[in-house]
Amino acid sequence: MPLLTPLIGSQMVDLGSALLLLTCFAIVAQRRLSSCVDLFALQSVFLALTAALVAFLTGIHHIYIAAALTIVIKAVVIPRILKRVIERLNVKRELQMNVNVPTGLLICGALVILAFFITQPIIPLGFLLTRDSLAIALAIILIGFFMMIARKKAVTQVIGFLVMENGLFLGATAAAYGMPLIVELGVFFDVLVGVLIIGIYSHRMQDTFDSVDTSKLTTLKE
Amino acid sequence: MTILLIGMLAIYAAGIVLPPCFPGRPRIQNMTAHGLAAGAGLVGIVLGIAGLLASAPLTLSLPSTLPFLTFAIRLDPLAALFVLAISLVGLAASIYALGYVTEFYGRASIAVLGALFNGFLLAMILVVIADNGFFFLIVWELMSLLSYFLVVTEHEKAEVRYAGLFYLIMTHVGTAFIILAFLIFFQAGGSFSFEAFRHPEQPLSEGMRTLAFLMALIGFGTKAGIVPLHVWLPYAHPAAPSHISALMSGVMIKTAIYALIRVYFDFLGGQFPWWWGFVVLVIGAVSALLGVMYALMEHDLKSLLAYHSVENIGIILLGIGAGMIFQTYGLTEFAALGLLAGLYHTINHAMFKALLFLGAGSLLYATHTRNMEEYGGLLRRMPWTGVFFLIGSVSISALPPTNGFVSEWLVFQSLFLSFHIPTVLLKLMLPLAAAMLALTSVLALTCFAKAFGISFLALPRSSHARQAEEVPITMRIAMGLLAVVCVLLGLAPMVVVPMLDRVVAPFAGMSIEGKVLALDGWALAPVNVEFSSLSPMALALLLIALSALGLLLVVAFGGLVKQRYYKTWGCGINLTPRMEYTATGFVQPIKRVFSTLYQPTVKLETELLEESRYFAKRRRFEFHIEPVFQKYLYDPVVAFFIGMAERLRVIQGGSLHLYLAYIFVTLIVLLLFAV
Repeated sequence: MPLLTPLIGSQMVDLGSALLLLTCFAIVAQRRLSSCVDLFALQSVFLALTAALVAFLTGIHHIYIAAALTIVIKAVVIPRILKRVIERLNVKRELQMNVNVPTGLLICGALVILAFFITQPIIPLGFLLTRDSLAIALAIILIGFFMMIARKKAVTQVIGFLVMENGLFLGATAAAYGMPLIVELGVFFDVLVGVLIIGIYSHRMQDTFDSVDTSKLTTLKE
Repeated sequence: MTILLIGMLAIYAAGIVLPPCFPGRPRIQNMTAHGLAAGAGLVGIVLGIAGLLASAPLTLSLPSTLPFLTFAIRLDPLAALFVLAISLVGLAASIYALGYVTEFYGRASIAVLGALFNGFLLAMILVVIADNGFFFLIVWELMSLLSYFLVVTEHEKAEVRYAGLFYLIMTHVGTAFIILAFLIFFQAGGSFSFEAFRHPEQPLSEGMRTLAFLMALIGFGTKAGIVPLHVWLPYAHPAAPSHISALMSGVMIKTAIYALIRVYFDFLGGQFPWWWGFVVLVIGAVSALLGVMYALMEHDLKSLLAYHSVENIGIILLGIGAGMIFQTYGLTEFAALGLLAGLYHTINHAMFKALLFLGAGSLLYATHTRNMEEYGGLLRRMPWTGVFFLIGSVSISALPPTNGFVSEWLVFQSLFLSFHIPTVLLKLMLPLAAAMLALTSVLALTCFAKAFGISFLALPRSSHARQAEEVPITMRIAMGLLAVVCVLLGLAPMVVVPMLDRVVAPFAGMSIEGKVLALDGWALAPVNVEFSSLSPMALALLLIALSALGLLLVVAFGGLVKQRYYKTWGCGINLTPRMEYTATGFVQPIKRVFSTLYQPTVKLETELLEESRYFAKRRRFEFHIEPVFQKYLYDPVVAFFIGMAERLRVIQGGSLHLYLAYIFVTLIVLLLFAV
């Protein structure tokens, strides 16, 4: 009898997903910018582990490549870039928020419930061992989106965007054991380029507005 | 014929491509662009005549990778007639442009202007020969866009940009309706080919036919300039360079007439309820009358001509509307006559309106102003232009022996034939329309008495006019060509009528050539010779004979005529331009009579001398007429949309977070709906 029965495997995937969700909440609760970036790196590591686990359980090899790329790009390269942007721009450590932390956490809780409520009719139709993660993936996507709305600084919005991307990756793995490798590679490339562009764009904003507060962009309106 | 067709298209294409190949050399650009356009025009004239005489229509087709789209071409007599008109006016405009665009050296890119000019002509030709609805819409839109770019040639002027925008919006509203009309046919026919439009798989229901009729009327009516959709003409036509105005007013708005005939008599098979024709007739009558009334009040020569286009489109629609009504009651001969009269006027208007716009362009070239109040005495300085403008004026005023007279006479006759219609209402309405046409003709005559008199006669009213010189030879040749065509079309209906008959016969189902031409072609008759008849040639001879007789009588009774040059008798005072009638003064009586329509506002300021209140130091007179349609029809619509936009502006906060929140909320709501 193998060490990992499908039941235990599925439980472990769920655990990985739950850790991902937990880091999400941690990011929302975090008031310091550099810690946010660290937490995102941690989340990416969890994601890579979960993906590797799925690859091991199913024997689909290309997920390993995706997992390795996740570690390299999302856990190492992107956090570096972001940290450098933070240093360069002298972004204040304290986060500025449209919604304060307790309210934010409550809303995130509501979003998780919503995600489970929405996916409830779909999950029993699935037959993959990762199917339960779909609800969590949706929750992560929604929380990432919420982060983009709730935080004012451009850098925090990038983190929100990256969290959403992690959620999508998890969702794809959960629903279909990952997308074809070529798509996966494309997505990684997009994310990397996106972060680079947003980094440069933040510099320009800093130059023009002396701040990376995106709510100041309203002055562009007539 | 195929070779002619392809050759013509190829020359136009060369005219688009070649001019930009000579950067920085406007003279060569001018020569290539307009020389090629003139060549294509000559080929087009031959092609048009060949197409009219051919026994079977020429068809060509080129498949495309897009679904429903084939580049199909069909040159039937109707299309050939319009190809002929477009080519003829195109030829004249090209020759004219050789001289005229020298004005633009250094001010605008001649390469762009020339390429657009060729493209515009090509698009118009393709519009009338397209045989696929999709293809038609593409070239129709191309025609509109290219003409827009030509209108805004002098885009550094604010009023030109405004005119261009106005035109662009109006023409796109029109195109939207045309697309709807074509979709109705497409739905029934299952294909965009005109053959499927003609013979759809399942016949259109009565409601759908009515809808198609109305959509086509609004859509093509916008381009043709029917009241109340005419408002763009007096803006766009004056703003464009004059040879472009001649094309736009002379032939572009006629493509809408072509399309209306194509839709009503070809696609809808000439089966109408009586009220369709009635609607067209009423629109025609109203357009004719209002067009000329507003023209009278214009003192910008090119705006005046633009309003006359509205008038003449009205006259054309009177003929077509009468034809449609006769068709309903099975009076095929008269239906054919009405349609023939409308088409005859279409061709005539193309010629004399192009001539007049070229004439106006010459005045603009010589004086650098469009304001008639600053002209005067130009006949002495520009005799050639003056004579050609006079011929155009006589034509548009429908005086013999020119072409305008013949076609308007035919329109009148077809309206008078209404006593054959069994319905009492129509029996009364058609003569009423004829009465409105009569009033229109008289007012048009007044208007051109003003336009010619104020511009060319008496003393120069400004230094512009005093310094005017005759225009270059190419411009004179172009005007001369059109003037000769105007007179020939009037004197030789026995050549024109058989050609038009070939166009009309397939739609009416019978040929009326023999019935319209009486006395071996030397006279015209509205089907029935006993009803009335007219011989333009005899009339012309009579006019010449009477003039000679008059001169003879003068000599006989007044002794020998001695020539003596002396200043005009001015009661002992020296004559100055300030003593002349102004254009405003000339139309003052008409303004008074129709003040209900014009709603004029007059402002008179007098500054008196301090020493005595009986002497005025300075007087200022201003008067404006109310732009009724713009104020009561267009302004409310525009205000409504701007108001809506202002209200919607609230949600456009400009905040990134707000926009993200919109997306987020939408996503959540959609997800909840999905559950």
